[in-house]
Amino acid sequence: MKKTSADVLPGLSEGGAPGDHPLLAVDNLHVEFQTRAGVVRAVNGVSYTVGPGETLAVLGESGSGKSVTAQAIMGILDMPPAVIPKGEIRFKGTNLLKLSEEARTQVRGQRIAMIFQDALSALNPVFTVGWQISEMFRVHRGMSKADGLKKAIELMDRVRIPAARQRVHDYPHQFSGGMRQRIMIAMSIALDPEVLIADEPTTALDVTVQAQIMELLAELQRESRMGLILITHDLGVVADVADKIAVMYAGRIVENAPVHDIYKGPAHPYTKGLLESIPRVDLKGHELYAIKGLPPNLLDLPTGCAFHPRCPYRQDNCVTDAPPLHEVSGTRNSACHYWREVLDGEHQ
Amino acid sequence: MGRYVIRRLIQAIPVLFGATLLIFCIVFALPGDPIAAMFGDKRPDPAIAEVLREQYHLNDPLLLQYWYYISGVLFQGDFGVNFADVPVSQIMAGKFQVTLNLALTALVMEAVIGVGLGLWAALRRGKATDTMILASTLLFISVPTLVTGFVLQLLLGVKLKQWTGADIFPVAGTFAGWRSYLLPGFVLAGTSIAYLTRLTRTSLAETLRADYIRTATAKGLSRRRVIGRHGLRNALIPLVTFLGADLGNLMGGAVITETIFNLQGIGNQLFQSVYLREQPVVVGIVTVLVLIYILANLVVDMLYALLDPRIRYE
Repeated sequence: MKKTSADVLPGLSEGGAPGDHPLLAVDNLHVEFQTRAGVVRAVNGVSYTVGPGETLAVLGESGSGKSVTAQAIMGILDMPPAVIPKGEIRFKGTNLLKLSEEARTQVRGQRIAMIFQDALSALNPVFTVGWQISEMFRVHRGMSKADGLKKAIELMDRVRIPAARQRVHDYPHQFSGGMRQRIMIAMSIALDPEVLIADEPTTALDVTVQAQIMELLAELQRESRMGLILITHDLGVVADVADKIAVMYAGRIVENAPVHDIYKGPAHPYTKGLLESIPRVDLKGHELYAIKGLPPNLLDLPTGCAFHPRCPYRQDNCVTDAPPLHEVSGTRNSACHYWREVLDGEHQ
Repeated sequence: MGRYVIRRLIQAIPVLFGATLLIFCIVFALPGDPIAAMFGDKRPDPAIAEVLREQYHLNDPLLLQYWYYISGVLFQGDFGVNFADVPVSQIMAGKFQVTLNLALTALVMEAVIGVGLGLWAALRRGKATDTMILASTLLFISVPTLVTGFVLQLLLGVKLKQWTGADIFPVAGTFAGWRSYLLPGFVLAGTSIAYLTRLTRTSLAETLRADYIRTATAKGLSRRRVIGRHGLRNALIPLVTFLGADLGNLMGGAVITETIFNLQGIGNQLFQSVYLREQPVVVGIVTVLVLIYILANLVVDMLYALLDPRIRYE
């Protein structure tokens, strides 16, 4: 008999109450890459949680460690060069990092699934989309080819791909960008995962299609109550769908808060910079705001607060002391010594 | 696809004409007199020589000679006769079989050993196995066939038989059936195996870095399935091209190997015919080789479309 993930993870009942444990908890995660040039500290103590039906948006620029964190959750980092020296990733209380590779494989794709940025390169060019979707059922559920294909058509209907019955035999390159991303989504939700990680799912798409894909994700989430981790650098995408936001910079979370709090008033200079750099109609003709300076060199992170070289609120202690994650309110944290000043909008 | 094949076959016509004309001219330009070669050491009677020259159209202009030849091939399937009046088609028939056997043996070895070693190296990248495989391919690429041929013939063909008493790799012509082709096949395939090993290693290593491999892993598939189904299927595409194109090279490159192992194949015949200035035989052989080359390339292109759905010919 084929092992199901319930066999491998005895502590994890299918869909049962998670008890005291959050659905997914990342706790003080560190990820480093051993390179010839030195150790790249990509993730430096990231913690966040996602509950059933909850959407967490992880925000940050390229190299902030948001994708690496997601890949660590999935267990798809190349190790080596990647190492995880510290931290836990708990799925319903079970530390995934302590599981055997076999047990980990049972979680991947079935309990925690992921969709990627560029669906054209993320789908295998030489297999039909039907083959690729139904592979989930054939491999994990032992279904026959025909049954798997039937399931694939159902899923393609569910993500609203027109004429699914005919198109199931087409190859990825025969679809438009938006349709390809729908196929990616269909494949990821095939086995009803409890957590879905979407790594910049709309970046490669044009704006109208972006909205449709986000709407689809939100709808699927409502139906299935899965936890959604939405990785993006686009604040516009986040506002409508996210429940809470974690802003990452240089491999750390610099601010996390419910989405409305962030838009009302950021409590970290970096978040503030991100919000101010969104183009606004009422400021048409003015120069666009940009955060000064360059993203940090992960091989040689700045001392103290990693953001200090670019920060308008910088004081002397920012250069020497790394700020802890201060509690701003019960649901909100900021890793800034001067979060109060930032929150009050006292620009210096 | 059908129209594409027809177009490709039509394109092959000028290639065939060009290649045969070129070879015809080259053989014509070779120094020495074919009539004198027929008589060996003796000097021919000038009158007889003149009659023979007339009979074989040797006094006609080059292009006219070419026309006589190519019209015979095209309209009667007649490759002509050599200067001893033996039909060229008869000379070629048995010889091509030998060379084809040799080339196919080499091709199979190339595919099995080359792809096998390449995959092994790719999966052990940076480790001792990988380094050793790479080093040995370098050895095979840099040592000429002439050397590997004689060395292996001596060690595996002669010495091994003396030591063990068993004739595992017979090297005395084609008398031992398919086993006669094992050692010559390996020698012929040598450099190609080395190149294919390197190509396979690079191709698979590159494929395994692709995004869809990450997707396959994220689907919860076993590493075996990720590499075996998703990786290999893509990594194979460039290898098929190499293998197909190499069949022509193997057939054309068999001259040295056939000479070393005394196989009466097309390479051996080509060598002798060039030596004897037998134009009809040389041109005949080259024509068939060109044809095989063109067909092999066509098959490769069609396989390509079969393996990679993104390629459509119309």
